[in-house]
Amino acid sequence: VLSLLRRYRELILVAVLLLFPLAVFFANAKKPSQHSRVDRAVLTLTAPLEKGVGVVVVGVLEAVDGYVALRGAHRRAAAVGKENQALQLELQLLRHEAAENDRLRRLLAVAEAAPARSYTGARVIGVRAEPSGLQLVTLDKGSDDGLSRGMPVITGDGVLGRVHSTAGGSSDVLLAIDRNSSIAVRVERTRARANVRGLGHPGLARLDHAVRSEDVIEGDLLVTSGTDAIFPAGLPVGRVTRLQRAAHGLFLEGSVILIVDPTRAEEVLVITSGARDRELPSSALAPGRTP
Amino acid sequence: VRPLLLSLVALLLTGLQAALLHQAGGGAFTLFLPVALLVHLAITADLVDGAVAAAAIGYVLDVSSGGTKGLLTSLAVAAFLGIRVIRIGVEVQGWAGFAALCGLSAFGLSAGAVALTRLAAPLEVRPSWELLPRIALGALLTMLVAPLLRLGLRRLDGIFGERPSELRP
Repeated sequence: VLSLLRRYRELILVAVLLLFPLAVFFANAKKPSQHSRVDRAVLTLTAPLEKGVGVVVVGVLEAVDGYVALRGAHRRAAAVGKENQALQLELQLLRHEAAENDRLRRLLAVAEAAPARSYTGARVIGVRAEPSGLQLVTLDKGSDDGLSRGMPVITGDGVLGRVHSTAGGSSDVLLAIDRNSSIAVRVERTRARANVRGLGHPGLARLDHAVRSEDVIEGDLLVTSGTDAIFPAGLPVGRVTRLQRAAHGLFLEGSVILIVDPTRAEEVLVITSGARDRELPSSALAPGRTP
Repeated sequence: VRPLLLSLVALLLTGLQAALLHQAGGGAFTLFLPVALLVHLAITADLVDGAVAAAAIGYVLDVSSGGTKGLLTSLAVAAFLGIRVIRIGVEVQGWAGFAALCGLSAFGLSAGAVALTRLAAPLEVRPSWELLPRIALGALLTMLVAPLLRLGLRRLDGIFGERPSELRP
């Protein structure tokens, strides 16, 4: 046996490398994934990199913009052209800042509408949305800033997701579009209960567990019900679409257009307090507008 | 040393990928940059070193994807072995061949992950095959940027004294 092991040791090692992780995966596939200390250390290493790359990419884009603008100015008759380009750039920057201010104002309105809660503001610095894994975005705040697993993450428009894991200076947010995300909701118009489950890609989510006899119609706004002990009640989640009321079965079938487009989320609020049971005034949130 | 170095490069690539995806599209499409490392390993490394490094890269992918551990580790080793098998049957040379292998690996890894997750995960969280177009687009984009990554990896090999583009037994 030993000689056989010695003879095929390379193949055995490769087989172990192939099959052992697979066995680990099948053993844990039905459990919620948790990060170990080593995993958190690995994630801690990537966060500064994501921040750095973000700064470099924005810098390069601005430099390219400036270069193109300068080349254009040379072709035109001197001073007027240059001034025009400079004004265009300035206008572009002002528009960018105005859009950012608008998003921040709406986040502030959300925070002011429920002063009993405490929030931490954060920026999205990375996106991990491979079909092979979870649909995550990385925030520039982590456990050092008081964030922990399960905390709700919202934008000025509604629910983005919840904190999935944290490292010192960063955290991953499980988006509402992920197939592991299920949010307990109510139809705002009729208070009918349901769940919204992601499908694993940006776009539509699925309406789950909406009882067939309930009054639900296409276009209904779904808000968090607060019964999942994660999200406070009253946060907009999405609108019902493609509703099918089959002749048989207990539940309605339908899709949900999520209020928050995760591909456009930039600034977010993480609800860090436990006061999640208070209804948020719907006037504080503007469904349909995405930051 | 090489597995450790390559897992650091994988970490760098996943960070770069996350930041790039945030800046361009915000996740509307995906990339799978670390597969370039697996292809590079399958071309340049021997069986045991390559498999260990592929497993290390897979672990980094598992951690950064946030999913259940082991899935991408196993698939990374499988991709490494698969590319070696392809290289035995087909002569793949130059940047075009490298890019094609990267695209194929990215598609295989993602589709394999979806297939295995469908087998193992609870019914309500099983991924749908409707993800295939998204996977194909991600593989195509990975293929397009692969030549740049090849350039970087060859430089890295040059620094550490490896001989690039040579299939070892």
